[in-house]
Amino acid sequence: MSSASQLTDVLKKSSADPALQQEIEQFFYREALLLDNIQYEEWFALLDEDIRYFMPIRRNVMRRSGKARPGDITEYSGNDEFAHFDEDIDAMRGRLRKLLSDFSWSENPASRTRHMVSNVIIHEGSEANTYNVCSSFIVYRNRLERQVDIFAGERHDVLRRADNEPGFKIANRTILMDQSTILSNNISIFF
Amino acid sequence: MNTEDNASNGWSNEQIKQLVSDENGVLDARIYSDEALYQLELERVFARSWLLLGHDSHIKETGDFLNTYMGEDPVIAVRQKDGSIRVFLNQCRHRGMKLSRDDAGNAKAFVCTYHGWAYDIAGKLIDVPFEKEGHCDRLDKSEWNPLQARVATYRGLIFANWDPEAPELDDYLSDSKPYIDTMFNRTPAGTEAIGGIQKWIIPANWKFAAEQFCSDMYHAATMSHLSGITAGLPEGVGLQDIKIPTNGYQYRAKWGGHGTGYYVDEPGLLAAIMGPKITEYMTTSPQAKAASEHLGSDMFGQRMLGQHMTVFPTCSFLPGINTIRTWHPRGPNEIEVWAFIVVDADAPDDIKEEFRKQNIRTFSAGGVFEQDDGENWVEVQKVFKGIKARKTKLNVQMGLGSSATDNPDFPGRISDVYSEDAARGMYQHWLRMMTEPSWDTLKP
Repeated sequence: MSSASQLTDVLKKSSADPALQQEIEQFFYREALLLDNIQYEEWFALLDEDIRYFMPIRRNVMRRSGKARPGDITEYSGNDEFAHFDEDIDAMRGRLRKLLSDFSWSENPASRTRHMVSNVIIHEGSEANTYNVCSSFIVYRNRLERQVDIFAGERHDVLRRADNEPGFKIANRTILMDQSTILSNNISIFF
Repeated sequence: MNTEDNASNGWSNEQIKQLVSDENGVLDARIYSDEALYQLELERVFARSWLLLGHDSHIKETGDFLNTYMGEDPVIAVRQKDGSIRVFLNQCRHRGMKLSRDDAGNAKAFVCTYHGWAYDIAGKLIDVPFEKEGHCDRLDKSEWNPLQARVATYRGLIFANWDPEAPELDDYLSDSKPYIDTMFNRTPAGTEAIGGIQKWIIPANWKFAAEQFCSDMYHAATMSHLSGITAGLPEGVGLQDIKIPTNGYQYRAKWGGHGTGYYVDEPGLLAAIMGPKITEYMTTSPQAKAASEHLGSDMFGQRMLGQHMTVFPTCSFLPGINTIRTWHPRGPNEIEVWAFIVVDADAPDDIKEEFRKQNIRTFSAGGVFEQDDGENWVEVQKVFKGIKARKTKLNVQMGLGSSATDNPDFPGRISDVYSEDAARGMYQHWLRMMTEPSWDTLKP
């Protein structure tokens, strides 16, 4: 899994100074607001051309020989396995076209969501002008008359410096959902 | 089973028979939402039918196991030393605790985490802690094994059945095998599963999902998936540029409630779902031509496209898209979807990868097609809370009286691709299983 090294590196002391910490947190808050306000096109503009938007499946695995998270990642489906999402920019553009059509029944009427992002830990990325950022999220979704879904998990992002106004683009997003069986009728929103 | 009791759970056989009319194409909506009917279904349908558990490649080596369900009963499917598969209730005979709680893995034995009773991989009780002190040699361990199911495979698919009297899987599949083989017998190498089983819940009755894959090209060609199709179009191509296919057929099994539908020579829907690479692989590639030779027909190897299929009750798949899933029932109002992807075992790596990515993009909990199915079924199910709405007579009349058995290309009972004959077949078989207690009358 692409985030294997990130999963262990994230426990090292953060390398970010307070200004960078604040800049990246503000980026996440603004990004969350775009999603929560159904500003799909503005949110998609934050995805870089080489993005991988990836959410592996999470399995129930008994601890054996003392192995546990985060070094042991066998509970996540791998790169060549089924996943909840494994999208490149073209697949994401298709999702945008779907959402902007009038026929996207799973999001028309649109869900009401609230993306809460916290626990932001920042490290220098492996290439220049990138940062590996781990954060936690809770996403509340309410839709139609009384459907409620609550999703929680971790995001492992690679943010790349960009000359757009928010200052970054998302080059990689791996989403580790805190659910094995997805307890919702679909995943028609983004994290 | 107890259908002798003429008022089981408040439902007599005569009352149940009023719920479905194959002849007139009418359904009583209570088949989707009535709790008492659902409890009867678990006994009369799920405990007597062959249920899909997984794929041979999920459990390759001795001791490999997969935890899954038959209806609501948790079961373990385990590969044995001799290559056979055993399926038994995932339940200790001491206090009923689960024997295994991993999703899958490899085991030498299953040890209950409550008091430590241990079972071998064949499901035989082999060790009871403090047996000598506690039971003073009075315990006959051979009498305390978990319940075993019958197991059979077809083209790599693992099925199990609780009922010792039920017909063999081979007979149960009836005349549907040529339509299953378009996905599972394209090459002598067979298929293999891509790793990972995706699981999610849909608060809707299992029959909506099963029927849609059995009989419903209609929803794909009309409203449900317009935005899913939009997601796969190249830049600059709009829905107005797309021609919805019309040439195709539907098949209704002569026995068993199985059904399928497909287009002929019109790859439009397949291309919109899977893209050009898979469409070429399925229609014009050397592998497609080889599939025609292997299946003995270019119709079955290359020209049936966009196929949907259900093997009654809850095994559904889409040949050419290659998703396969079991709709595990969770009460009348909910299913758990357990979906995986198969590929031809000898397909090139880039084709396997393309199947993987396109399935994630289209037919999965977040898939641009499947997320809209979840929406429709859930809304229908909610409507059935109403005392009037739950008793509504629903129309399943499309293609009524128009099927024939003399199609030159397709064996069995065939109608137009936009038909509900297969749905009527599914509900008719459901009705028979619900009301006929004996295989003497029910058998193929």
